[in-house]
Amino acid sequence: MRTDIVRTYKDIHSWVGIIAGLALFIAFYAGAITMFEEPLQRWASPPTELSPPPSLERTPQLINQVLVTHPEARRSFKVHLITGPEQPARVSWETGTRRKPGETYFASLAPDGTLEVTNSKPSEVAQFVDVLHQQVGLPFDHEVAMPIMGVIALLYAIAIISGVICLLPSLTKDLFALRFGKNLKRMWLDLHNVLGLFSLPFHIVMALTAVVFAFHDQFYFAQGAVQKIGATQIEGRGAPPPAPNAPAPQLDVVSDVLPPAELARRVNEQMPGMTLIGMSYDYNAEEGHHGHITGRDPRYGMRGPTYGIGEIDTQTGRIIEADYLPGKQSGWFATISSFFALHFGNFGGAPVRWSYFLLGLAGAVLFYTGNLLWIESRRKKERKAGAVEQTSATRILGALTIGVPLGCIAGISVTVAAAKWLPVGLENLAAWHSRIYYAVFLLAVAWALVRGAAQSGTELLWAAALATALIPIASLVAAVSNGWNHGGNTRLVDIVALAGAIAFAWMARAAHHRALNGPRDSVWSARDLQLDLAQQPAE
Amino acid sequence: MSTAELTSSNWFGKVSAAVVLGFTLTLALTCTFAVLFSRGDSYFTAQGQIAMWLVSPIWCLILSLCFLFRSGARAWGWLAVANVIAWSAYVAARFVMG
Repeated sequence: MRTDIVRTYKDIHSWVGIIAGLALFIAFYAGAITMFEEPLQRWASPPTELSPPPSLERTPQLINQVLVTHPEARRSFKVHLITGPEQPARVSWETGTRRKPGETYFASLAPDGTLEVTNSKPSEVAQFVDVLHQQVGLPFDHEVAMPIMGVIALLYAIAIISGVICLLPSLTKDLFALRFGKNLKRMWLDLHNVLGLFSLPFHIVMALTAVVFAFHDQFYFAQGAVQKIGATQIEGRGAPPPAPNAPAPQLDVVSDVLPPAELARRVNEQMPGMTLIGMSYDYNAEEGHHGHITGRDPRYGMRGPTYGIGEIDTQTGRIIEADYLPGKQSGWFATISSFFALHFGNFGGAPVRWSYFLLGLAGAVLFYTGNLLWIESRRKKERKAGAVEQTSATRILGALTIGVPLGCIAGISVTVAAAKWLPVGLENLAAWHSRIYYAVFLLAVAWALVRGAAQSGTELLWAAALATALIPIASLVAAVSNGWNHGGNTRLVDIVALAGAIAFAWMARAAHHRALNGPRDSVWSARDLQLDLAQQPAE
Repeated sequence: MSTAELTSSNWFGKVSAAVVLGFTLTLALTCTFAVLFSRGDSYFTAQGQIAMWLVSPIWCLILSLCFLFRSGARAWGWLAVANVIAWSAYVAARFVMG
């Protein structure tokens, strides 16, 4: 390949990389964690004050009481087949509309058969980490953050292709070489290349899907505008949703449906191999009795993060819409689902989830090493030009390369651990998780900027180790102090956090070693430059 | 073959061409796809959704490869020519499919 092409793309790669790298680190670290959103949500959810969910056979009694005393649930309520701390009730319903959601209410039956209703939700910390992932760590409204994320995703796509172009000429020479030697820049470059190349398909998938997740409205709008030119009027998208203040449907009309146990049996008959998660009973005058089902089937990729979606007739149990139901899709819809499934890693069960978790962490390391390489190559150029002191650009970027990733790691860990310590029944729990995360994050970034990359590197790694250790500590404290733990797969959360804390502590020791013994002109060196210069004869 | 070496310094003209004309080119190609394969009356069919998804890889490819143009002016020129061809194909497809 022509060397000028490679040189051009090397420049492109380093600039788009440096602009997008820190945001992508947050997206990948938080994204890796969302692979275990369900166990994490269970870990973080306090036990419900409701009585245990009634059996499916007894659920009609519960539904009837809900519909009599809460007419607002008649338009739509959900029956959950899988319950636990993260989904505490057999029956729930929401007020408000899809665009403007209101409260969610959960209902159960007391042992004496009376109705219990609460609006206290399971923990929202897993959801918070997910949003952090989607918005690449930006604390803005969704409408503002998503286009910015989209631009980052476009830069990411350019970084992938330009990176491959840079690597191609030396591919055979460099691919299996990991030169952990004296030349540290060489080592970081080898690591960056090997991570980038072996997770290339993963990164292509993530970049292309992220662009769509950010801009699908705009793309649809543009294409729709083109197709409308000179075309006969496109039909409207079905009936408008009923106004939220319209009178609730009659009880006897809404109740004229199959009971949940029978409905689930009929759905399962049509969907062998799928585990039904939930069913909704919806009614409005235009569409009549219908409902939505969610379910998972690890043999297929699925449209939702952890489930497929379908529509049923709640009077007969017949599936009336299977476009997004695993195994029932046409080739075209299965293709669309595969795009989502490849992003969510929701096919193949636990082995794929763990692979995605590791690929996500590897991606975070990829962006971190990319930033390191940018700093290291600038350092070399400065030395050739005769400058000994680092420029402010290198200093600031070095500090941000430490502060942003470690602030993100520590912030997520602290806010997750806080789920066990925030008082139960606190108003607006989600906002508290957000405040805790950003407080820790901004503190870490400020600390890195004030103390410089070398000093803060060690300190913030210790902070990240300590913050992450808080997660198993929170469980331990709960175990000995009459708090709550759920056992089962939530122990994984503690084990993974403990492993993470140990890894960060190990890195902190390594960074400390490097700050004291590494090359003095490095941005990572904590040795006093002035002092060393004073002791040496002038050259 | 060109004699002038490729550089990254004149990136702005190339990138702006890829953002603007690259997007309209992508739009023409994906809308042609939708016209040819879509069955149904709205663009929210499976084929319509695939057409939307196709925007991402095509536009990303144009954005990434635009640096191979020797100058911003050439980028604008060639992408304009590509736009004319692609939009003609779109109009032809609309005409054929009725």
